[in-house]
Amino acid sequence: MPKGYLALVLHAHLPYVRHPEHENFLEERWLWEAITETYIPLLDVLQRLRADGIPYRLTVSLSPPLVSMLTDGLLQERYLRHLDRLQELAEKEEHRTYGSPAHVTALGYGRHLRHCRDFFCRYDRNLVRPFKELEDAGCLEIMTCAATHGYLPLMMVRPQAVRAQVETAVTTHRGHFGRDPRGIWLPECAYAPGVDQILREYGLKYFLTDTHGILYASHRPRFGVFAPIYCPSGVAAFGRDPESSRQVWSVREGYPGDYEYREYYRDIGFDLDYDYIRPYIHPDGIRVSTGFKYYRITGPHNHKEYYEPDRAREKAAVHAGNFMFNRQHQVEYLAGFMDRPVLIVAPYDAELFGHWWFEGPQWLEFLIRKLACDQKDLEMVTPSLYLERQPTNQVATPCSSSWGNKGYHEVWLCAANDWIYRHLHLAGDRMVELADERPFATGLEERALNQAGRELLLAQASDWAFIMSTGTMIPYAIRRTKEHLRNFLRLREEIKENRIDEGHLAHLEGRNNIFPHFDYRCYRTDRAAAH
Amino acid sequence: MTLLLLFLSLALALTYVVLRFRRPPVTAEKARPGRGQPQAMEEFAAELVPEVSVRREPPPAPAEGELPRRYGTDRLILMARDPAWLFAYWEVSAARQDDFGRVYGPQAWQESRPALRVYDVTGVDFDGGNAQRVFDIGLHEAADNWHINVGTPDHAFLVDLGRVLPDGRFITLLRSNLVQTPRAGLSDRTDEQWMWIEGLYRSLRYQVGTGSPLIVEEMAARAGEIPLNVSSPSFPGKER
Repeated sequence: MPKGYLALVLHAHLPYVRHPEHENFLEERWLWEAITETYIPLLDVLQRLRADGIPYRLTVSLSPPLVSMLTDGLLQERYLRHLDRLQELAEKEEHRTYGSPAHVTALGYGRHLRHCRDFFCRYDRNLVRPFKELEDAGCLEIMTCAATHGYLPLMMVRPQAVRAQVETAVTTHRGHFGRDPRGIWLPECAYAPGVDQILREYGLKYFLTDTHGILYASHRPRFGVFAPIYCPSGVAAFGRDPESSRQVWSVREGYPGDYEYREYYRDIGFDLDYDYIRPYIHPDGIRVSTGFKYYRITGPHNHKEYYEPDRAREKAAVHAGNFMFNRQHQVEYLAGFMDRPVLIVAPYDAELFGHWWFEGPQWLEFLIRKLACDQKDLEMVTPSLYLERQPTNQVATPCSSSWGNKGYHEVWLCAANDWIYRHLHLAGDRMVELADERPFATGLEERALNQAGRELLLAQASDWAFIMSTGTMIPYAIRRTKEHLRNFLRLREEIKENRIDEGHLAHLEGRNNIFPHFDYRCYRTDRAAAH
Repeated sequence: MTLLLLFLSLALALTYVVLRFRRPPVTAEKARPGRGQPQAMEEFAAELVPEVSVRREPPPAPAEGELPRRYGTDRLILMARDPAWLFAYWEVSAARQDDFGRVYGPQAWQESRPALRVYDVTGVDFDGGNAQRVFDIGLHEAADNWHINVGTPDHAFLVDLGRVLPDGRFITLLRSNLVQTPRAGLSDRTDEQWMWIEGLYRSLRYQVGTGSPLIVEEMAARAGEIPLNVSSPSFPGKER
């Protein structure tokens, strides 16, 4: 038996952004960037490790909005079109940088973009498939997340609204991965007592909280965050290890700020001559990131040196070794206090790797190889594998918490966004009322009820409240919140008055098409009894 | 003539401004420690302005634009934001307001002041009179939500929205749901069969809030741009 277990968890999520009504919608680029810079590089790493016979266990949560976007035909088509433009830019860049120290980096971008196209087409444009392939091979455990990343503690006023988020997530997951999810990533790691009981109704076995979610539980957890606790409902809660988080997350102390690493903020989309870059930024002339970045962080000042891929790669290897060394020491130290192997849970946003921390995927690959080949103290596990091996755990109710600033719910409930809750809660109440009144709807009425549910779910995404409180792109977040709520209110009125406007309904179904198999009956009050 | 008009409109505007920003006299019978929202203590404000009937419909907040400000339902919802703060929002229907008028007289609504009464009901089966601590918050007539500083983690609260009559009586209009503030530290409860191990916790140099959303905020502050991330994707927004 190893002295300790390491559970690396990557949470992949983007809000549902899909605008068929616009040829070039700025915010759709979030998905293109994440595919090119994070999802494909991570899949490359995981497939390479598997091909080399390196054993590993990694946990990934793929949020239902992300899964829905990755499998959406229109967005897939648009991603290829986006790649066309980037590849054209890559060719120009190879010429422009010829003879300069940036050339080798430019060549690398060109190669990667060609690879992205191959990879994307090899899987028939469906990037959920390679994830499923790795899960079927036993390398990955894929968790689900709330249907639209709704912030569950602030929805608990009407638990049925939380049930609908969870049920829709579980159903969507089953549809795409052919199995029930064992765990759920609570959006923003946000937990409040009571949420776990709903998770249990849907067969979910575990979730993650931030460190204090476990430490400040109703009873002192004997092993701190180094072993899970069971909620009284029997659902396990795993706490985040603060040390391994800090090493990767912290802006100042963390690895990603190393001077050898690529500088995120110097992008030719902002730096180069407007006429040159114009075809590759937004058609309205708004400068955006292109992903072509040639400098390394260099130091704390504005002066930047050229990026050197080999030096950065060496640094990623050093950091992977350092991370492993620290975990070994941690386990060594903690083992003396515990009657069971130490568990270290290290959750990260997947989009940190590659997109923000360009060398993140390399770091992960080095780390997994070292864990497999260079030591015996630590073994990689997934939370459900750990529970199989350690089925007996302490019982306590975790503390209401999140992993946001200050650790509770303030980011999602502050002066900038508190106004949304009077609308969201009311819409939730009315949706439950509609579903209770009409459990056997068919035809047009059923379609309208389903779309009303979709609009409500989309309005509940925690992303909007988060954006409102952090202060950039606020108009878009406000607009999305209001738009979905207005759509909901209009649909409800039409359903109530039995005068459904089919043209408008079809328009909404086409535009906000998340969850094609959505069933409004998940909002029924007696639904829970069925599970 | 023009001068007269100008004078009249100025006077009207002034009255409006004063009315809008006048704060109600604070209802003072219980201790109200640690209120977070700014509270005007200038009681003279009430005497300086002539009594004018107050608008029943609060002005719509610009941020919400096209969403209805009111839904015609009575509700008072309380949420626990963190160990020290609660948030409440409410709506009082016209019917409830009329009921109030029927019982306390047609002028009672205008003569009374809105207030929140906060009850700490930790460990009690609340019957209206057995709260551990009670305090009132005087409200602006148009207020329909409030951030409440209670300052006590791991306590249970509920609030009443009511009107304070000129004779000081608090009349409840709506009662909220019950909430519990989160714990802000380790629990005192240690099971007998589960030992407490000091050393384990000493190794935890833990600071709340080092998660992804935080890094995003830090970076946003640095560059005025949010990188692509769970809850915070990367491009500076532009309303189209």
